[in-house]
Amino acid sequence: MLTKTQTVDGAAIKKAIEGRDGKMLSSFYNDDALVRVIDRNNPPSKPREIRGRAAITTFWDDICSRAMTHKVDATIAEGDNLAFTQACVYPDGTKVFCAAMLELKNGRIARQTVVQAWDE
Amino acid sequence: MRPIETRYARSGDVRIAYQVVGQGSFDLVFVPGFISNLDLQWEDEGYSRLLKRLSTFSRLILFDKRGTGLSDRVDNRHLPSLETRMDDVRAVMDATGSGRAAILGASEGAPMAMLFAATYPERTRALVLYGGYAHFHKWVMPPERLEAFIETAETAWGTGATLPNFAPGRVDDTHFAQWWARFERLSAGPTAAATLARMNAGIDVRGILSAISAPTLLIHRRNDARVDPEASRFLARKIHGARLIEIPGRDHPIWTGDVDRVADLIEECLTGQPAVADTERVLAALLVTRIFDTAKLGDRMWSQRSQRFQETWRLLVGRHGGRIAGTHGELMISRFDGPGRAIRCAAALRDAAQQVGVASAQGVHVGEIEMRGQPVGLTARVTMQLATHAGHGDILASRLVAELAKGSGLRFIDAGRISLDELGEPLPVVQATSEQHLEPACRHRPKAPEPATLTARESEVVNLIADGMSNAAIAAELRLSEHTVKRHVANILLKLDLPSRAAAAAFSARHTGPDGP
Repeated sequence: MLTKTQTVDGAAIKKAIEGRDGKMLSSFYNDDALVRVIDRNNPPSKPREIRGRAAITTFWDDICSRAMTHKVDATIAEGDNLAFTQACVYPDGTKVFCAAMLELKNGRIARQTVVQAWDE
Repeated sequence: MRPIETRYARSGDVRIAYQVVGQGSFDLVFVPGFISNLDLQWEDEGYSRLLKRLSTFSRLILFDKRGTGLSDRVDNRHLPSLETRMDDVRAVMDATGSGRAAILGASEGAPMAMLFAATYPERTRALVLYGGYAHFHKWVMPPERLEAFIETAETAWGTGATLPNFAPGRVDDTHFAQWWARFERLSAGPTAAATLARMNAGIDVRGILSAISAPTLLIHRRNDARVDPEASRFLARKIHGARLIEIPGRDHPIWTGDVDRVADLIEECLTGQPAVADTERVLAALLVTRIFDTAKLGDRMWSQRSQRFQETWRLLVGRHGGRIAGTHGELMISRFDGPGRAIRCAAALRDAAQQVGVASAQGVHVGEIEMRGQPVGLTARVTMQLATHAGHGDILASRLVAELAKGSGLRFIDAGRISLDELGEPLPVVQATSEQHLEPACRHRPKAPEPATLTARESEVVNLIADGMSNAAIAAELRLSEHTVKRHVANILLKLDLPSRAAAAAFSARHTGPDGP
């Protein structure tokens, strides 16, 4: 049976994030992909690095297990680069805003940098 | 950072207070032990250090169990069962949108965390149990000791009387003991505390251990004063795949002792990556202050004075820009960025000790220390030995301290060398002398007044005085008002420090040269 793989583009990412579909999101990455997160606790000189599909799967499973809303806006695509912003709200009203920059390789995400800010 | 917001989750008809800190990609719920208070925990250095560490890698969810801290009070005669309190964890997770979380249960919080993990496996990402147990009477205290504990709790609640049961190593730390007393008062009333203690005594979750499927880490201090480490060894045997790590220490609360070690283990277990030390070793000046009784004060008086001195010590160390690093009985250790500050603080402490009426002896040394936790390395041990060698009222420092403090205005006198256990060769030492000695021993004789200090007009006036002229005559001669002349004369006497017109005349005669005085 032929396995149809989802094309990684802005629309697919938006659908997976807004649907909190961790499994789908993880499938968008190359096996040796790298996700870097920059926030208050992980400054630019020492970002948090999540390497490899297994760790990235755990990362998305954790985030998607949260009962919160995500809204992906302003997706920009140019060649193998993709960028989007994401606004999230927790049930108690806490807001998180992220900007993500992605590099694709062979149609899958090879590298992603996320910058996020939280209500605290 | 803005103050941490406290919110309330509804669990049945009771409101549970909770806080959320951190921005991690996974959630970590902290289930506290016997009693807790969300506000107060941030005021203790160890507690806030632990929470800050945990919130650097997780979204940390904190709460007070119903009937304790900031959560709604409940009927003291019918405190909720372990199951109801466990359900409060679920209510808080729902309110914070946490579908799945790592659960950290400390002490009495551990059985609650185990019950949660067994009941809601799909919501338990991992389980970390610190100083936990499955059966109270077997591993915490037998029924006969429990009655004595409850009696203490009921009769002396709010005074900190329960501290020796939990953290015997902190009993002499007045600051912490006071915090503990507030912790008791603000976490539960005396009746609730006694009821809670009775209820906890009924804890037996041995039957559910095999139902726990989450990856489990067990941490227990080897000489835990409250819960027998055998308790965690039992859990390690009964919870499938659980890993037990025993660490040194005897103080039971998770926020006492080496909290960084505990946080490191939790971080490594939950993130799969070793904790990155924020900083490893730093150069610091250590001051060890030792107090002792030379006046044979008697235990009671001594204890009062020692306590008073320790309070002053905390105050003065802070005032001199230092940090409290810990106490070992009557040895008090503080840390400074530079040796000058340490010596100045030592001098202030010596004066304070005199005022309080205790004898002091102090040691100062400079070296690398571990940034985290209490200083325990060679630098700390050498400084402690210096304080032991120092005589009454002395501040004994390694010569290195004197060399680094050059230019600071501090004075040291050579005190020879002393042999210390761990150093190959004797350590050259100096004694810091009192700063008062830096002042000149006596005032310099004032320099003889110089005629040049007078203005041209004043010189004219002083010459005319020497000629025996009155103020009115001088005024006429110089075409000035008599009032102006009077002012000139007053200025002249002041400048030359002379008592009278006659003395000014004599001065003029002495200094008359080709160009006048």
